[in-house]
Amino acid sequence: MTARAITRVLVAGGGLTGWCAAAALKRRAPFLDVTLLATAIAPDALADRIACTLPSLPGFQADLGLGEDDGVTRAGAGYRLGTRFAGWAEGLPDYVHAYGSYGHAIGPAAFHLHWVRAAREGSTTPFDGFSPAAQAARAGRFVPPTPDTLFAAHDYGLTLDLDRHRAMMRAFALHVGVRETVGEIAEAACDARGFLSGIRLTGGETLAADLYVDATGPAARLRGAIDTERQDWSAWLPCDRVLLGSRQAGEGPPVLTPVTAHAAGWHWSSGEQVGIAYASAHLSDAQAAAMLAADGATPDRPVTIHPGTRPQPWRGNCVAIGDAATQVEPLEWCNLHLALSAIDRLVAMLPDADMAPVERADFNRQTLAEAERVRDFLAAHYRTARRPEPMWQAVARAAPPVSLAHTLAQFAERGRLPFYEEETFARDSWAAILLGQGVLPRRVDPLAETMSFAELRGMMDRFTNAIAAALPRLPAHAEWRAAQMRRLAR
Amino acid sequence: MTWKIGTGIEAKGGDGSVTTDRLRVVIVGGGTAGWMAGAALTRLVSGRCSVRLIESEAIGVVGVGEATLPHIRAFNERLGIAEADFMARTRATFKLGIEFRDWGRIGDSYIHPFGTFGRGSGPIDFHHYWTRLAREGHAPPPLDRLSYACALARAGRFDHPGRDREDLFSTFGYAYQFDALLFAPYLRQLAEEVGAVRTEGMVVNVERDGESGLIRAVTLADGERVEGDLFIDCSGFRSLLLGQTLEEPFEDWSKWLPTDRAVAMPCRTETAVTPYTSAIAMPAGWRWRIPLQHRTGNGYVYASDFIGDDEAARALEQAVEGEPLASPRLLRFKAGRRRRSWVGNCVAIGLASGFLEPLESTSIYLVQQAITALIELFPERGMAASDRDEFNRIIDLEYDRIRDFLILHYHATTRDDSPFWNYVRTMPIPDSLAEKMELWRRRARVVKYREGVFLDASWIAVYLGQGILPEGWDPRADVARADALTRAVADLQAEIDADIGARPDHRAFLQRYCPMVEAA
Repeated sequence: MTARAITRVLVAGGGLTGWCAAAALKRRAPFLDVTLLATAIAPDALADRIACTLPSLPGFQADLGLGEDDGVTRAGAGYRLGTRFAGWAEGLPDYVHAYGSYGHAIGPAAFHLHWVRAAREGSTTPFDGFSPAAQAARAGRFVPPTPDTLFAAHDYGLTLDLDRHRAMMRAFALHVGVRETVGEIAEAACDARGFLSGIRLTGGETLAADLYVDATGPAARLRGAIDTERQDWSAWLPCDRVLLGSRQAGEGPPVLTPVTAHAAGWHWSSGEQVGIAYASAHLSDAQAAAMLAADGATPDRPVTIHPGTRPQPWRGNCVAIGDAATQVEPLEWCNLHLALSAIDRLVAMLPDADMAPVERADFNRQTLAEAERVRDFLAAHYRTARRPEPMWQAVARAAPPVSLAHTLAQFAERGRLPFYEEETFARDSWAAILLGQGVLPRRVDPLAETMSFAELRGMMDRFTNAIAAALPRLPAHAEWRAAQMRRLAR
Repeated sequence: MTWKIGTGIEAKGGDGSVTTDRLRVVIVGGGTAGWMAGAALTRLVSGRCSVRLIESEAIGVVGVGEATLPHIRAFNERLGIAEADFMARTRATFKLGIEFRDWGRIGDSYIHPFGTFGRGSGPIDFHHYWTRLAREGHAPPPLDRLSYACALARAGRFDHPGRDREDLFSTFGYAYQFDALLFAPYLRQLAEEVGAVRTEGMVVNVERDGESGLIRAVTLADGERVEGDLFIDCSGFRSLLLGQTLEEPFEDWSKWLPTDRAVAMPCRTETAVTPYTSAIAMPAGWRWRIPLQHRTGNGYVYASDFIGDDEAARALEQAVEGEPLASPRLLRFKAGRRRRSWVGNCVAIGLASGFLEPLESTSIYLVQQAITALIELFPERGMAASDRDEFNRIIDLEYDRIRDFLILHYHATTRDDSPFWNYVRTMPIPDSLAEKMELWRRRARVVKYREGVFLDASWIAVYLGQGILPEGWDPRADVARADALTRAVADLQAEIDADIGARPDHRAFLQRYCPMVEAA
């Protein structure tokens, strides 16, 4: 062991994010002495409060050795194959963003370029008609990725029972050796170098560590003591309020989460959890609550979000993760995802006691690049949406960030999706959103014209026919979950 | 479910129209770049363009880019080139990496492999364990005994890699060493078979549109006027269209890469046909050794500020290992690139767009990446700015990454035996490289990319091969006991050695697989 090694890590935040961080650090770097300070979950800590996740959570759990039995079935989670967007582009039907491939590349060109050609020739099958996972999800069916079948190339996210999931992750973390302290932070002390020197709890107790991980939500109770520098993204992400609600959900969480635009934002339903994201200038909190109530849900208190990020989530000896680093509305379920990605990065880039600026800079460079591309992906939903109301009109007019402007210009010209490092969403995800919202590239890429159109149509028809033939053999989502439970109960 | 596509947002192009007629592509200059472009365009986007290539037998071909990177295989595959046939006709050999001699200090030798170190999998990269063993005094075997590609290269053997990713035999790739003067005619034949038209002639005048500045036509010495919609400048160092006509500024990188001349001289192969290229450091630069089936290419790349042409030629003559087959030939160049490679309706490919010395065999790679990007962004007559911008963004990224990697070879040295090495050892380097080196020095970190050439293993090979042993490593590499690690490393080495013992000799493999075709 090198002399400069760090040993004591303190993770602050008693939500799922904090427990994920503590569990991963201890599991993957067992020489660390990891303590979790279980503060109460902040209402605006969306990474801890949103039930829907991207496929990164099952992947993160698998890396820890948490399999599906404990990590999904016993925790009461449902499977998610994607999101169904309704009402985002007037005059167009809803569309599905599934976590998997759409069609398959033909020759040198990606499938979406062929789809553009077919659309230009008058084909009317929507883009998600070529996604096996999207079609399974639309039919309420579920299948895990299965090699050598049509359903080989997708991933799935989860719809969590948040209390049970947090309890599961806590039990796992304690099992692998994380220590838990319960308390609330009174003050984080920062020295002249901008390093945290210790934390005082409301009970008077003090805690100190070599490395602090701040998972306390937007308030960033630790990281915020060092500086408050941030980038503001509100010009591109218009919702500044989220209102969650709960209701009885007899059928369990849906395999396809509906996300429906309304005059001042959007609302969603994921089984027991429902929610509405909105711009407070265009919809009052009372109106939002009334909308949820009309849907049969009991509204919680609204929380305010400030879309934006810390350009330096890591300063000194403190790393902010999740909403403490980056705040975005829950569209596309990125809050927990960004936290998990930062945790993985931290494990791979564990500092030594020097906390070298060059290592922090590399961490921050990657983390910021990732956050900015998530911002671009979310902003693309608004930029390309077509609705008449003032909120939508204003956000559609705002000049997009440079990197998003480049992506949109490339796509609008010929369907190209330029590569960016640290990109979260695959090209098919971008294509699903842009084509789903009616952004049709101006021209057909020459690479998509290497075969006759009749040939292409034949291939496309065979593909949709194969999906249609396979669908009835897939289990319904509820059946699949019930079968998993039965298997464990045996 | 039916819906009408026509309701989507329609982006307006340059002239607002959707044109589908074929673009007239004029390639100025043959050689490797010109014919790679010609063959790729005619084979892959023939529906969208006609290709006319103008070259003059009176103009020499530089053709030093005889050693390639593994990416060339994907290019050949897309063009439907059969490997054995191509190798026989270009008298090619296999290349598993590059041997660097005397770089970190005189007497050193390491291989930059086209492959991984260790087994190439696991949550922590192998070099962290190796660094720990070295730092803790356990004297692990040299790193290049622990890479399948390096060990296979050192043994002078070759076989096509296996497909089972769990198997060490799959942990490498390969490229070719071929005669560039035979590669161009080979591609020419492929291109002409599918309709490329070659015109013998020398461009004497370039005609531009007064308003748009686009190139309209070129005039040849015999008076013929050749019109085009898209002009590809493959005129080499002269950069006839992009540099001379459009006057695109040149970004000079010679303060970091001071070599500006090379003297080349092939010789008879009298030693083994190594499945790797060698780059041997010299007092004012370095010397290449590229074994082909019929001869060995040699050259001395040097900085004219530090050595005279005659002295360099003499040094090369003394160093070559076989009977010379020609007298020394001089080449002049400058490291750097044109600020943009695509301007208006002119795309420069190869030396016309920029030059990076052949230390890591990147010349043909850069040509290939430019062609691939051009095909992906193949324009219409209107020449949308978005196509150009994206092309230039991609090319910039490639150049910048290669630049830093090349500079590392010169800067990471303890050599102080000549003014040249004193200069490169102490020169200021780009910040982007300084950061990479500090991350490595502190804790064996390699900056990760998903796209671009020279990934982790390449950087690790050069850092460790040139003597930068990190002070620290990933603390997770401390979890295992040192004696267990030492055993695992010994097992790995034994497994590599045993497997390699069963592989064929490189020369024997060539003779069986792709014996060279004699000149017609």
